[in-house]
Amino acid sequence: MSLINNICSTFCPCSVEQSPARETESSIDASMRWPALVMIKASAFWFILAIALGLATSVKLHSPSFLGDSALLTYGKVKPAFWNALVYGFVFNASLASVTWILARLSGQAMRNNVLLTVSVSAWNVGLLIGLVGIFIGDQTPFALLELPNYITPFLFVSFLGIGLWGLLTFKARTFRSSFASQWYVLMALFCFAWIFTAAQIMLFCSPVQGAFQALVNGWYVDNLFGLVLAPLAFATIYYLIPKSFGKPVVGYRYAGIAFWTWALFSAFRGSAEMLNGPIPSWVAIVGVIASFALLLPLSTLAMQFLSSLFGNFNQIWDSVSMRFIFAGVISFVLYGIFDVYGSLIGVNETIQFSLFDSGVKLLALLGFVGMTAFGGIYFILPRVLNKNLPSSLIEMQFWAHAMGVMLIAGGLIYGGHSQGVLLNDSTTSLLSIAKISQSFLFLSTLGMAFLLFSAVAFLVTFFWMIVAPRSASEKSALFVKAAPDMECSAS
Amino acid sequence: MNRGPFIFLGLFFILAASWAVTLNYPQGKSGQLTAIGSGADRLPHQSLGLVPKGREVYQELGCVACHTQQVRFSAGNDVDRGWGERQTVARDYIDQNPVFVGTQRIGPDLTSVGTRLNDAEWLHRHFYNPQIDSAGSTMPPFAFLYEESKIIGEASNNALVLPEKFAPKAGKEITPTRKAEALVAYMLSLKLDYDLPEAPNAEKVNY
Repeated sequence: MSLINNICSTFCPCSVEQSPARETESSIDASMRWPALVMIKASAFWFILAIALGLATSVKLHSPSFLGDSALLTYGKVKPAFWNALVYGFVFNASLASVTWILARLSGQAMRNNVLLTVSVSAWNVGLLIGLVGIFIGDQTPFALLELPNYITPFLFVSFLGIGLWGLLTFKARTFRSSFASQWYVLMALFCFAWIFTAAQIMLFCSPVQGAFQALVNGWYVDNLFGLVLAPLAFATIYYLIPKSFGKPVVGYRYAGIAFWTWALFSAFRGSAEMLNGPIPSWVAIVGVIASFALLLPLSTLAMQFLSSLFGNFNQIWDSVSMRFIFAGVISFVLYGIFDVYGSLIGVNETIQFSLFDSGVKLLALLGFVGMTAFGGIYFILPRVLNKNLPSSLIEMQFWAHAMGVMLIAGGLIYGGHSQGVLLNDSTTSLLSIAKISQSFLFLSTLGMAFLLFSAVAFLVTFFWMIVAPRSASEKSALFVKAAPDMECSAS
Repeated sequence: MNRGPFIFLGLFFILAASWAVTLNYPQGKSGQLTAIGSGADRLPHQSLGLVPKGREVYQELGCVACHTQQVRFSAGNDVDRGWGERQTVARDYIDQNPVFVGTQRIGPDLTSVGTRLNDAEWLHRHFYNPQIDSAGSTMPPFAFLYEESKIIGEASNNALVLPEKFAPKAGKEITPTRKAEALVAYMLSLKLDYDLPEAPNAEKVNY
């Protein structure tokens, strides 16, 4: 009985005093409660599912007979299911939970059309679930991160348009005429996903381009997905939370504009780099390599802004679980950027081509950079929309387990992938021997997945604990959430 | 920078330029290739029969997760590994939709696997359990593409000949399903035994 009571009080706004000083903020938080909780719950579900699939993928790479009798769970199906659940399930939901709330806060008033967001996100998740079942029953396509069967992609696209439309309406309704970097990056992610998804679907399935060029379209899509959709979702969260938490503007904020445009430009052109030496005209791949190298410019600008802001307030990072995740996310971002550019260079590219290096770099981006940043956002939002304390000690454990997991997976696959690539491309060592030599690194990645499984369970427990825990006296008080400075609107 | 339309237009033109330069232009310029010759002399060779069905099985089981189908001539050592004599070029792929170029080589490249392993029985054994002929392989077993059944009268012609350790119980036999037959037919059809004028190989480069 008391459980039901607790849950009701979680969602009932009358159980919390209203503070006149934070009237706008609390009304926005109240209006975003349902969409945020739907996305956070979905991200917790997808995270557990994705990590379970990731663990199976990783185990199968060193013990191929694991679950080997089942036609449903063969490596070629589990692997795409893992990547799709991770990207379109966990990373999308977690990042969107964070950035839609930020967008709502930055628009300065409670929106009435949030039901559009809730419905679109739910439709997206249902569509994705159907798509994953489609992969398991054998309807997958052979294109990386586009494996979801063709019959579900139009539905996913329409669901995403709902999210995009909500973002546009919320941005339009802002009360300040000026806009902040977080808003630019959210718009970038929403707009670019619709763009690249349409282009890839048309060029691969509706009126497919000829043979080898399909692989080029696929490479273009994947790199743009990381550069123009997933990374901007994380940037939006970082740009918002750093000034909010420290009460100081982002160091060098006036360079945010140039970083934004150069990041967009060079990310958009780099997709063809992975087709180096492939069956397409070589100048196309060279364009991609040059754009990858040029990416060092926005990369260093963004890294300078984030790292200077974080290290300038280093003692405050460990006071809040949210900033801790942001800090780890920024460190992962810098490492991801360096490895990603390094892997595209001519000379290195030939060595690491077709090895696990690229998977390691991408997992560092998904689980470390975008994933941990999204956790930072979620742990900033949850106390505000529910007016309750976070179970900090559990989240602290989750933080270390997650960081450990990312280090083991990324370290194992990046270092192991590099040595695998050297053997694969610069020697005639047989593939059987290479498999044997790579095994120790693959064990590391399996161990890392086990750490992440703990992180996923801790995240789910945290979420449900926040919902069912009784509301203490301090959590009923209007002073529970302190007013934060409006730092995001000042440039210097 | 404060206006939404400005951001949208900027991003639209950046993506449109990237699409036009790196996808649409090369695709329009060199993505409309036709085969050379016709009939039996057609290059690239056309394979019919079970092969299209085999391609479907290849796609369904996600073989592309570990196997590429592309040979690089000027980089790597694909030629030394015996995966092909020349660079694969766009014309090699004109009949393939969807294409299985692939991005990872957990296993070997399969561009010319039909030349290298021109032995249906070996391939069947390999799919049934890769440990039989390549102990230590990380390839998963595809035993679910095979049926175990009681031998009634004489053994089937297409029953797998397995070493004792992997053989079924006495009186039983392992036979390939249609999917397995199709997959093997597809593997045997993968050959790079023809030359294309635009494809670099050792002879042309040395000249």
